[in-house]
Amino acid sequence: MKVKFFAGIRDCAGVKEDTVQFSGTVGELLSYLSNKYGDAFRKAVLTGDQVSDRVIILVNGRNIVHLAGIDTVLGEEDEVSIFPVVAGG
Amino acid sequence: MFGWAGTILRVNLSEGTIQKEALNRNDAKLYLGGRGLATKIMIDEVDPQVDPLSPENKLIFMTGPLTGTMAASPGRYMVISKAPLTGTIGCANSGGHFGPELKFAGYDGIIFEGKAEKPVYLWINDDEVELRSAEHLWGKDVFETTDQVLEETAEDARVACIGPAGEKGVLFATVMNDKNRAAGRTGMGAVMGSKNLKAIVVRGTKSVEVADPEKFKEVSTDARRKLKEHPVTGEGLPTYGTGVLVNILNEMGALPTRNWRDGGIFEKAEDISGEALTEKYLVRNKGCFGCSIGCGRLTKIPEGKFKSFGEGPEYEAEWSYGAACGVGDLAAICKANFLCNELGLDPITMGATIACAMEMYEKGILTKEEVGRELNFGDADAIVELTRMTGLREGFGDELALGSYRLAEKYGHPELSMSVKKQEMPAYDARGVQGMGLSYATSNRGGCHVRGYMTSVEVLGIPEKLDPLVTDEKAGWLKIFQDLTAVVDSTGICLFTTFAIGLPEVANMLRAAVGWTTSDEEILQIGERIWNLERLFNLRAGFTKADDTLPPRLMEEPLPSGPAKGKVNELEVMLKEYYQVRGWNEEGVPTEEKMAELSLR
Amino acid sequence: MLAPEKCIGCRTCEIVCSFNKIKAFNPKTARISVLMYDEAAISVPMMCLQCDDPACMKVCPTGAITKGEDGTVTIEEKKCIGCKLCVSACPLGNITISPVENTVVKCDLCKGDPQCAQFCPSGAIEFKEAAPSTIRRKKDIAERFMELFGEVSE
Repeated sequence: MKVKFFAGIRDCAGVKEDTVQFSGTVGELLSYLSNKYGDAFRKAVLTGDQVSDRVIILVNGRNIVHLAGIDTVLGEEDEVSIFPVVAGG
Repeated sequence: MFGWAGTILRVNLSEGTIQKEALNRNDAKLYLGGRGLATKIMIDEVDPQVDPLSPENKLIFMTGPLTGTMAASPGRYMVISKAPLTGTIGCANSGGHFGPELKFAGYDGIIFEGKAEKPVYLWINDDEVELRSAEHLWGKDVFETTDQVLEETAEDARVACIGPAGEKGVLFATVMNDKNRAAGRTGMGAVMGSKNLKAIVVRGTKSVEVADPEKFKEVSTDARRKLKEHPVTGEGLPTYGTGVLVNILNEMGALPTRNWRDGGIFEKAEDISGEALTEKYLVRNKGCFGCSIGCGRLTKIPEGKFKSFGEGPEYEAEWSYGAACGVGDLAAICKANFLCNELGLDPITMGATIACAMEMYEKGILTKEEVGRELNFGDADAIVELTRMTGLREGFGDELALGSYRLAEKYGHPELSMSVKKQEMPAYDARGVQGMGLSYATSNRGGCHVRGYMTSVEVLGIPEKLDPLVTDEKAGWLKIFQDLTAVVDSTGICLFTTFAIGLPEVANMLRAAVGWTTSDEEILQIGERIWNLERLFNLRAGFTKADDTLPPRLMEEPLPSGPAKGKVNELEVMLKEYYQVRGWNEEGVPTEEKMAELSLR
Repeated sequence: MLAPEKCIGCRTCEIVCSFNKIKAFNPKTARISVLMYDEAAISVPMMCLQCDDPACMKVCPTGAITKGEDGTVTIEEKKCIGCKLCVSACPLGNITISPVENTVVKCDLCKGDPQCAQFCPSGAIEFKEAAPSTIRRKKDIAERFMELFGEVSE
């Protein structure tokens, strides 16, 4: 599964993207990645065991808010994108 | 007066006369300032059917009651006129330091009438105001003009001016101030050029006073703290600028690619993103007057054929020159954007017009002979060269100078112009972000994102998270966004503040500044009044329901890939609901009840 | 402590300074001003640096300018006769004439709580004891000038 990091999250992960062997939910993926990338990353994406309200997580381009949230189930073919809450215009 | 300076300058360029008029307090109460108050002056004094480039049109510069205070991001002013690009009410917002300086000189705004016989500039030094010859400045770019007039006046003055594009009537010419800040859209620079007005130079030593200083400081400090703490205004925008949006729109499949022909996923998005700009070319960020966000970029391309130094590009320009033209060369995009600043061009319409020409070329509608070069998507040299040629109206640039709609229409293919009311839409594909389609179709100044930024709720989840692929709730939210934006634009603070603060904070600052006890709801209703007034102007100018539409591509050609694959914009459903929410009849005309409710009768 | 390399040129310091002094907004009354050098991509907040050996104090004919125990150089309004000698004497140009108050004015560090530092959004102005490690900052700025002059000489 491909996971892409953007803006400040990229700085926390130290890489632009990662390919992980993983199946499970978004919540489990975030824990897995937090263990891999450390506390700065964990702090950025999780608040306790919930998704931080300062990030936007897309699965195949869809915000998980409009899927099953933290319980969204991921498969090998899925692509996950993690952004801090950003804006512009 | 508190908040307002209390005086408006009226400059008749035909007669060469300058008058000082007291601000109409009743109108200020109903329309605030900036966008609202200037539109009120337009509708009172100008026939909406006027030719935008004729002496009978007027050009208004207007600040708001919070401009030049310590409110959150208080550096804004607006330029209002009938727009040459769209034929609608024209209206463009800018930051920098010019607007506040006008307040410090003692004026809320300036109304320009008529047309000067020869090029002139206006020099305002507090109470002393004079028209001076600008014949020696005609033909100079924005930077040269600014430096020259400062030398002739005072080095601590502030300048708003046009470049060659405005002089030559490019229909999307900007008014530039402080060199790099633009009142960008709808062609206000062309109106200024048509009046032979090259620049306005202002220096002020007076104070802006507020009704309740202690309260004002308290609520402004509160708003500033919220801006600092919010991830968008405290982190994202300062660090990455507006270009941080490129990747997220692309990942959502809504970054319009190659004139919106190839869907919403641009394969080189990463190369043109805010992250790439920060990593490769950012020198440092820059803030407008009193702004704690500082989203402006000072950018330098250190070497290569696009070697240059300037400000920007913003997200919209990264898209218009990048994804829309299929160009992944960020250096070329920066260079083209700098040229827009120097020549006084709107980079959204410029890039999107080149994109349209590229599609016409690839379809064989335009030939190499007509263009003077090959013009395929992805040509980095072309975006730079055609920008220069358009600003100077050289060769094929003379045709691009009319914008994409007139270009495509001339060759019998208006459907290839990705515009609404003849103004090019910006960087959000309305098939992937449904509410943005309704926003484009109903915007009072044509295709535009900053009249009701539905991206905020549909993409970014601020303040709530709406599904971008459905039409539910979009009309109601859009009305709130449009009304609130009209308030913000009329107070003189920056729209970007509304990522972190909302109506209560804006209303608190406004009340403390001007000494009102008005409720939040009444203040939001001012926004609704302004929105309806703009609508009335457009209706009287001849616009109808039929103009509240989108290019056929967005309603007939489904997105080919990404999460919104197979989607078109379902405008009809949303538009019907929108008219109802607005209290307009089925033809999109405000009802008598609505007019009475808003004191527009 | 001023860190020009962090300054974004927003002039928030000017506006809050004026407000603190005259309860209205007017950068021309501010005791601090931001000078911008866009070509070098630098803006520099300028304010009284509370010199150890203040030239303004030396030239003041009425003794209106004094340096307190905390190091702050202040003007005593009652003693000031408005001769403006201090304005001429300050080698840094940090004493100005306020068009509103019609007197000479300078930074008095807001009696220990400088508003400019409190509101500066980028950390370019900080109020703390000066024990700076300046080499990094010198380098930052030197590099920008080097780039600028490098371009000119090309």
